[in-house]
Amino acid sequence: MREVRIPQDRVAVLIGAKGVTKRMLQKRSGVRFSVDAEGQVLIDDETRSPDPLMVLKTADVIKAVGRGFSPERALRLLEDDEYLEVFDLKDYCNDRQLNRVRGRLIGAQGKTRRIIEDLTGVYMNVHGNTVSLIGNSVSLPIARHAVEMLLNGSEHSSVYGYLEGQRPRLRIMELGFDI
Amino acid sequence: MSANRWGIANIYASYNNIMITLTDITGAETITKATGGMVVKQAKDEASPYAAQRAAERVAEIAKERELVGIHVKVRAPGGNKSTSPGPGAQAAIRALARAGLRIGRIEDVTPVPHDGTKKKGGRRGRRV
Repeated sequence: MREVRIPQDRVAVLIGAKGVTKRMLQKRSGVRFSVDAEGQVLIDDETRSPDPLMVLKTADVIKAVGRGFSPERALRLLEDDEYLEVFDLKDYCNDRQLNRVRGRLIGAQGKTRRIIEDLTGVYMNVHGNTVSLIGNSVSLPIARHAVEMLLNGSEHSSVYGYLEGQRPRLRIMELGFDI
Repeated sequence: MSANRWGIANIYASYNNIMITLTDITGAETITKATGGMVVKQAKDEASPYAAQRAAERVAEIAKERELVGIHVKVRAPGGNKSTSPGPGAQAAIRALARAGLRIGRIEDVTPVPHDGTKKKGGRRGRRV
């Protein structure tokens, strides 16, 4: 048994209407889990699946749903070389600045978030006191750096500049070459 | 020598490095170990999935030599007042061990969790670069 906790307001999303989402996740991963109303998720790690990593990946998917991703987007974590990274905004700023920093990460009408997603290919989500990223081993470090720049107070234009500058490297590495 | 020997792979995956220590089933006797720094040149690559894969292959080779049929895995992140989720290397390492033909038994998370411990580093004003 492996235990994951998700916020109460995300329990409904994880389960879905009459349990469709939960069933879909169990079918896709082949791993069974149970959710209770407090947000405690118990994952059955006795399941014998061909991929020994499935239990870990499923735990990540559930964590991602708990951190604000839609289940469809969180399913990306079931693939190989896709990782979840969660930042706690409180590590970077105090409570008074929380709303401002969250706004900076998302941008007007989600502009900043969209630019980070489009230029690196990660999924990004700001939920409560956390910002989470889903991406592969190439795109994730770049997106992480961009988010850290914003958290440390860089101007948006310089973050976009950094992301643009990483484009060629990202392209080369996506083709499968090391730098 | 029994034909059904198992070992334990203790995987420590942080954001800066990965360490794989292969022990016997008691956990007291180290059979071999490999770290990110042993397999890549650049320090920034030590925690990469690629380094994890290479390190795991090195461990798997010796495991085969010692005629282990499978291994249990204990994954660990820095823990304590640092990050509690394993770095990207952990998954890659387990996958490489499985691909090398070793059977993967139980996967356990042994990240140390404080029952309220010391203050996280970074100070009152957070981490500044």
